[in-house]
Amino acid sequence: MAAVMELPSTREESWRWGDPAAIAAAAGLPRGEAPAGAWFLELEGARAVFVDGVLDEGRSDLRHVAIAPLEGGTHVLGARTTGHGWSLRVEAHASAELIQIVHIATGGENHVPAEIVLADGAQASVVETYVGTGWSNRSTRMTLGAGAKLARAVRLLQTAGFVSVRDEADVGAEASLIVTMLGAGDAGTRIDGAITVSGDDAFAEYGGALLARRDQRQECALSVRHAALNGQSKQIWRAVAADTSTASLAARVEVARDAQKTDGVQSLRGLLLKRTATVNLKPELEIFADDVKCAHGATVGELDQRALFYMQSRGIPHAKAQALLTRAFVGDAFAQIADETVRDAFVADADAWLEAAL
Amino acid sequence: MMATRNAEAYAAANKTYEWGFSSDIEQEFAPKGLSEDTVRFISAKKGEPQWMLDWRLKAFALWQTMEAPDWSKLNVPPIDYQDAYYYAEPKAKPKLGSLDEVDPEILRVYEKLGIPIGEQKMLAGVVEDPLNEDGTPKRRVAVDAVFDSVSVATTFRKELEAAGVIFRSISEAIKEYPDLVRKWLGKVVPQRDNYFATLNSAVFSDGTFVYIPEGVRCPMELSTYFRINAENTGQFERTLIVADKGSYVSYLEGCTAPMRDENQLHAAVVELVVLDDAEIKYSTVQNWYPGDENGVGGIYNFVTKRALCQGKNSKVSWTQVETGSAITWKYPSCVLAGDGSVGEFYSVAVTNNRQQADTGTKMIHLGKNTRSTIVSKGISAGRSDNTYRGLVRVAPTAEGVRNFTQCDSLLLGDQCGAHTVPYIEVRNPSAQIEHEATTSKISEDQLFYAMSRGLDAEAAVALIVNGFAREVLQQLPMEFAVEAQKLLGISLEGSVG
Repeated sequence: MAAVMELPSTREESWRWGDPAAIAAAAGLPRGEAPAGAWFLELEGARAVFVDGVLDEGRSDLRHVAIAPLEGGTHVLGARTTGHGWSLRVEAHASAELIQIVHIATGGENHVPAEIVLADGAQASVVETYVGTGWSNRSTRMTLGAGAKLARAVRLLQTAGFVSVRDEADVGAEASLIVTMLGAGDAGTRIDGAITVSGDDAFAEYGGALLARRDQRQECALSVRHAALNGQSKQIWRAVAADTSTASLAARVEVARDAQKTDGVQSLRGLLLKRTATVNLKPELEIFADDVKCAHGATVGELDQRALFYMQSRGIPHAKAQALLTRAFVGDAFAQIADETVRDAFVADADAWLEAAL
Repeated sequence: MMATRNAEAYAAANKTYEWGFSSDIEQEFAPKGLSEDTVRFISAKKGEPQWMLDWRLKAFALWQTMEAPDWSKLNVPPIDYQDAYYYAEPKAKPKLGSLDEVDPEILRVYEKLGIPIGEQKMLAGVVEDPLNEDGTPKRRVAVDAVFDSVSVATTFRKELEAAGVIFRSISEAIKEYPDLVRKWLGKVVPQRDNYFATLNSAVFSDGTFVYIPEGVRCPMELSTYFRINAENTGQFERTLIVADKGSYVSYLEGCTAPMRDENQLHAAVVELVVLDDAEIKYSTVQNWYPGDENGVGGIYNFVTKRALCQGKNSKVSWTQVETGSAITWKYPSCVLAGDGSVGEFYSVAVTNNRQQADTGTKMIHLGKNTRSTIVSKGISAGRSDNTYRGLVRVAPTAEGVRNFTQCDSLLLGDQCGAHTVPYIEVRNPSAQIEHEATTSKISEDQLFYAMSRGLDAEAAVALIVNGFAREVLQQLPMEFAVEAQKLLGISLEGSVG
């Protein structure tokens, strides 16, 4: 019954570890009841609830968030989101209240575009949560003026289906962008990020954790492009794969010809909890400027047996020791979340996942 | 300041390629172009048995259905496969093994190349005292020299035979040891492996075959010297080395070509098979003509090299110094199938002017407790692009795998590019995979210090670059290490002013 969808093929380099078939399968899930639960964090600010891609006005308190027609861009999945979506525009040197957005999917497919435009010196923080089932497809375009600051945290907690997130960002001079992702649901996940550091002395951090279990496939394909002087970027990712799942991270730092004095850091680490699981890493550097500092580290392995042994020798049961060590492993990826409540929520989500998976 | 730097770079580049001469040797060519007839011609010329011709034809049929790969970070102009000769042979073909009959012109070519072996004497048949003056044995290297499409000389044959080592051009081996060749040819790099390997399978003209019998430590280093001389000619050599149980061999490979304005294709295949407890050390100094400073001419070096560590505790070590070629597309790989087998890859790749290199390795871990080490040093200068591309894959069955990868890039100048594309695919939790990469330039402090000790800028850069590449260079056999150090310096002359 589902119409044939034009999806990318795994023959394409950026979809090498991808799972386009899972997207089609998720889109074919029948619509059902919205899951119940308190998805908002106990924080003051604007709130928006989207059910299957449509704003639920009764449960939303938009304040300065607007609903507007938006373009989805040219990305293969992002382009499908063209239509009505949410828009946050913050004037120069103003600070927006925290914005929380909950995306509830009940089945089928839904597509929502979004934009965050911060004028010079503006500040904002956004927390997004995805729950439910079906294919949720999003594109978010972030534009940061000079000295602007944006902190965005995204929790991918759908219990089934597929979530695809396309992020595009343009970071102006001395601006700071911090995006943190957590994939801790049971849905397939695809995060596509294209971040451009276009102003001098700017900072961009895009990282997070993908926790995969059962036959899940979670992946992130990210590129951070430095196009200006003195830029700094960080990509700190942790991937944990249990059961027969696959977690894949393909992260790239690009340094353009004129982007001298760039400092790019990549840390990709994978942890395999079962012998049937797979972790794929691709820490990529593409460098055209000579006076730069770009380093990356990538490791894959299991938990440190000596640390496990030590903890057991101090009376901690094996499962508990495993959970503690895994928690510490994942925790690195959340360190940049400034808001304590948000960070605690991420840690709690990860803990809940660990409890179920271990 | 940049302008002067470039001017100097160009000036220096003009004088750098000292192997760019071509020799006027009478050649016999196959008709230009590529068709089934070309394949039949080559096979007939070599007097090959029917099975070999069938094997080639099968590859050619496959090749016609394939497309050239485009996933690398290379800008490869379209290649007209019909506008080249696939077979060129020096007309005064020597009777192989009888060195006296080698065309003196060819000998002069090798003389100019300075083949690092005292083979001038060897080739001339002079018997030397096997000991140095202090009574220690001299280091000796047996050489197989491949000139365009045919092997012209293989030295030390008798001595190797006494040890049971078979060291032959592959054409001879097909005639003399058909069973051995047939057993292993295409086992590591099958005919359908990839576009260039398949082309090679159809039209390979010569190359080297080595068999080291069980328990034998090859008494000397083996070496092949490849030279493309004729115009419009592709070189397609095929190397097959089989190390039987408990054996060891160290194999060296060097290559050069004349300076010509058109591009020439070099599509080689190297297959290594290593059985229980055996070891092959394979070293390459690749110095094909890189083209001029504007990127005109130069060799397209599209090479498939792969080792199958089939036996338990077998080991393969690839060491490569890549300074030449307009475009390099090369990924010497190890399939670590035997339990406890070890793969190593040490590489220095230098690109200058308009050169492009996309090179690296694959380590496929299939056996238990297999280990691999990758050390890659990329040096880019001029307007060149230098990419490390590597894959480390751990199969679910491979318990206790260890891998360590280090990729360092050095950029000289602000018009070049350095890229790192490592793939890590792990399907067994007991694996320990570590990957590190850095990108840097030569620090002003280092330069200043070296120059304050009396070195000029160029010598200082050469010194620092050699230090940067030291971990790899020290893996090379002595004969090559000296040559490689010199080459690094020459390749980068003028890139920093």
